[in-house]
Amino acid sequence: MNYRTFTTEIATKHPKAVTAVMVGLSLLLAIITALPTLWPSSFSSLHALKVDTDPENMLSHDEPVRIFHDEMKEEFSLWDMIVVGVVNEEHPEGVFNVETLKNIHELTEFAKTIHWDSESNPSKKEGVIEVDIIAPSTVDSIEPESLGTVRFEWLMSTPPTTEEEALAVRTKAQRLPFLNDTLVSGDGKAVAIYLPITSKDISYEVASKLQEKIDTFSGSAEYHITGLPVAEDTFGVQMFIQMAISAPLAMFIIFLLLLYFFRKLSLILSPLVVAVVSAICTMSLLVSTGNTVHIMSSMIPIFVVPIAVLDAVHILSDFFDQYQKTKDRKATILHVMDTLFVPMFYTSLTTIAGFGSLALTPIPPVQVFGTFVALGVFFAWFWTIMFIPAAIMLISEESLEGFGLSHSEDDDKGVLSRLLHAVGNIATSSARPIIAVLLILSAIAGYGISRINVNDNPTKWFEANHPIRIADKVLNSHFGGTYMSYLAIEATDPNNEDVFKQPEVLRYIAQVQAHLATSSQVVGKSNSLADLVKTVHRELFEGDETAFRIPDSAAGVAQTLLTYESSHRPEDLWHFVTPDYQKTNLWLQLKSGDNQHMAEVVEDVNAYIEQNPPPIPLHHQWFGLTYINVVWQDKMVSGMLEAFLGSFVIVLVMMIALFRSILWGVLSMVPLSATILFIYGIIGLVGKDYDMPIAVLSSLSLGLAIDYAIHFLARARELEKKTGSWKAALQPIFGEPARAITRNVIVIGVGFLPLLLAPLVPYQTVGVFIASILFLAGVSSIVILPSLIEILQGWLFRSSKDTSL
Amino acid sequence: MIRLSSLVPLFALLTALPAFAATPSVDEIVKRSNHVAYYQGQDGRAQITMTIADAKGRKRTRELVILRKDAGAKDNDGKQLFFAFFKAPADVKRTVFLVWKNVDKDDDRWLYLPALDLVKRIAASDERTSFVGSHFFYEDVSGRGVDEDKHELVKETEHYYVLNNTPKDPSSVEFSSYKAWLHKASFLPVKIEYYNKKNEVYRTYEALEVKTIGEFPTVVKAKMKDLRTGGETLAEYTQVKYDVGFSEEIFTERFLKNPPLEYLE
Repeated sequence: MNYRTFTTEIATKHPKAVTAVMVGLSLLLAIITALPTLWPSSFSSLHALKVDTDPENMLSHDEPVRIFHDEMKEEFSLWDMIVVGVVNEEHPEGVFNVETLKNIHELTEFAKTIHWDSESNPSKKEGVIEVDIIAPSTVDSIEPESLGTVRFEWLMSTPPTTEEEALAVRTKAQRLPFLNDTLVSGDGKAVAIYLPITSKDISYEVASKLQEKIDTFSGSAEYHITGLPVAEDTFGVQMFIQMAISAPLAMFIIFLLLLYFFRKLSLILSPLVVAVVSAICTMSLLVSTGNTVHIMSSMIPIFVVPIAVLDAVHILSDFFDQYQKTKDRKATILHVMDTLFVPMFYTSLTTIAGFGSLALTPIPPVQVFGTFVALGVFFAWFWTIMFIPAAIMLISEESLEGFGLSHSEDDDKGVLSRLLHAVGNIATSSARPIIAVLLILSAIAGYGISRINVNDNPTKWFEANHPIRIADKVLNSHFGGTYMSYLAIEATDPNNEDVFKQPEVLRYIAQVQAHLATSSQVVGKSNSLADLVKTVHRELFEGDETAFRIPDSAAGVAQTLLTYESSHRPEDLWHFVTPDYQKTNLWLQLKSGDNQHMAEVVEDVNAYIEQNPPPIPLHHQWFGLTYINVVWQDKMVSGMLEAFLGSFVIVLVMMIALFRSILWGVLSMVPLSATILFIYGIIGLVGKDYDMPIAVLSSLSLGLAIDYAIHFLARARELEKKTGSWKAALQPIFGEPARAITRNVIVIGVGFLPLLLAPLVPYQTVGVFIASILFLAGVSSIVILPSLIEILQGWLFRSSKDTSL
Repeated sequence: MIRLSSLVPLFALLTALPAFAATPSVDEIVKRSNHVAYYQGQDGRAQITMTIADAKGRKRTRELVILRKDAGAKDNDGKQLFFAFFKAPADVKRTVFLVWKNVDKDDDRWLYLPALDLVKRIAASDERTSFVGSHFFYEDVSGRGVDEDKHELVKETEHYYVLNNTPKDPSSVEFSSYKAWLHKASFLPVKIEYYNKKNEVYRTYEALEVKTIGEFPTVVKAKMKDLRTGGETLAEYTQVKYDVGFSEEIFTERFLKNPPLEYLE
């Protein structure tokens, strides 16, 4: 028995059984996933659907940078923060009017009440951390009063009742470095309230409650809710909207296109069934094995569906073209599968290798993504070779009457057919110019790649007109910055005591801050223990600006801080230094959350410290979400590159094995290489940042582009042998095989354009690039390959005379 | 009224309280409690060790000596003078807080910072700022005015009067109300719970140990806990003495830089 048609024999003999097994298995997996998700208590032994939208989880929990981040958050009592920015563009004094300040006061009081008992641990509270709220009514103002008197009072204990009082709030806050540009904007028009929360994953809930309260306010002030936690959590919610709308919409468009090409409803349902079944099985396995649905894994269906449809379309396309020759379903499908089995097997294997290689990256969500897409491709392959033939057998012969092209149409009439033949003629007759153009374009693309800008920013995952992006823009134009990063500093020698009470050490920190203030456009503001000491010291000396300095002795520092500790909020001190004064925290407010900007700041600080050594040896280390994003992106770029190079080599070896020829193997890698080169060249040239979705797309390019090359080359070699010459083979090659590739490009490329409607930029990116990759891969396969074969035919066909495929 | 603080019980004059057969009026309870908590004896002295701990268990200690003298008319529980002198940690040693507690107007407060050679008057909009970084408020140390709250006897148990107290001016304080357990025999506040707007307890005071010093029952160990942060301060009183006989002049600016060491060692 022929191994290429073995599975088809079974499928055509027992079509109902095959269908039943497939449907049964999918239902079983779906149920295993659905039960614990819908009734968690009754099925606690099974894994329920868990969503994880935290970009921090791009790194595993035991990554040193995350362990350090968590330790420092604990050590300095820092929390993730929601920022509510209030601006009033209509009032001449901005928000400093009676009405707006009253609303701000009310919102703060409301925010204090947003907390509840934790479900997992009823002794703990979840929600807003009341004591650490930074708002006009929750911070202390310290100011000199009459001669010899210093005064502590709440900045705004009750809402002002006159315009003068409203303006006084601003005047007081702007005198204090801690509040100026943080609580009150530098231009004196806006106020930002900082609400620390117990964990990031409640930020959407907290933000929604705040919005409800804000909606009850009248007046001309605008309220912008932002902060990285809100962006991340909101993303999770939108992710589901995307999975529920965009992905199904893509399926629907693919369905319409298939209907247009094959005009047989009962027949084209089968590729969609394969796609849906593959996606369901993959996602169910993902969930039921305890993996979380992450930003990355939410895209698995989007990747599995086109790949699943791809192979099925090859079969249907061939079947469509050949059915009229025999009018026998079984004979036709056996013939089609005999031709396609090996290319399909190899294309699936290479795609699995491409995505499987992602399992070697150091980024857990990417590993899960790669592994499960690879698994999905396997499902797609398996159910394609089993179910598509079975489905064809389940359609009665009568209903296939008139299906497919007659032979004459095949060669002469179809627009697509004529177009493809023209392409084939040009590709071979102008082979050398085409390759020359290719080389020139490759050089340009190479230049583009050299200009690629590696950067990401979770806030930019939202569209430019999304409220979060608008808030981000408005607030960062008014304030020091809403992106937080922190620098932990401690003495290298632990025997030093009270390190951060030493005047020279505090002055050094102030010096680093002064450098950052001038050297960087990104650092809007920095806050440190030094600022706090200087401010209190100034107020102790009647607000005299010359007293805005560090006292001359450690005892002077200690006594200045003791004064600060007699305020309403002594605990704020411990955000900046540990109670033993051995470790300090320099808090940076950045105007941009772009990874590259954070990376610049890191380099800047390193260089400065190198050139200006501290008075005693100090060790510094970054933490904060903005910094963590830099770390995972570095890993992602290098990890992806290694994974891609690894799988490139694996696929090349597989191709050499498939074609039993080094030359053919290398040739098959050309469309893929050209596609990648062009895609990343364009990204570099147009200035699109190389971010998370772009990085992952290299694997998809590899999977899709090699697919077309295998189909094209396998058929070319087979037809050359059959017809006896490359010239004679050209005509049939640019018939059915080229049409199958073109249909594939159109169906899947167009099918994924609905992703452009998704509300989140990473999905839009994926949509655009899937379409571009398909287009480029298709064009390179049917243009570059024949041109190269034309040029290299002497070597190609001489060496392959005695091999068969 | 009821506000007591830990530091304070030391200074007092009242002594044995006659046991009442019938429940006294709320005003009477409040008045007595205020008296035993802050006004026992004509003056008093105590060394206080404060151990300030955060939720992570990180501890800092402060040692100070507090001298107190009643300055108003005898037994009217009026004006008082306090001299709080830091002994440790070393870098704040000799720092002094001087307080004139006034009943009818804001208190007068001075701070002397030896390292800066600076005497400052401290003004505060309210008295609910931290006492030297501890979880006790300034007001817990000096006493909250009896007339600032409305008092209500909500329960009487075998040993305690339980009073609920609500501020007359809610905007001046961070609590919505507080509940105090006053020991029936001594009138010492033994436990206080502070409630926020959601009627949740967020801060608690507990008297952990009471000793009778001379004739005065005195809290010698007390704890203030902030349930929101998980931090707490333990205050322990040693070398407690009443009716030492300080002269009033100690409690003036002049003595800030030249403290009366004979009472402080």
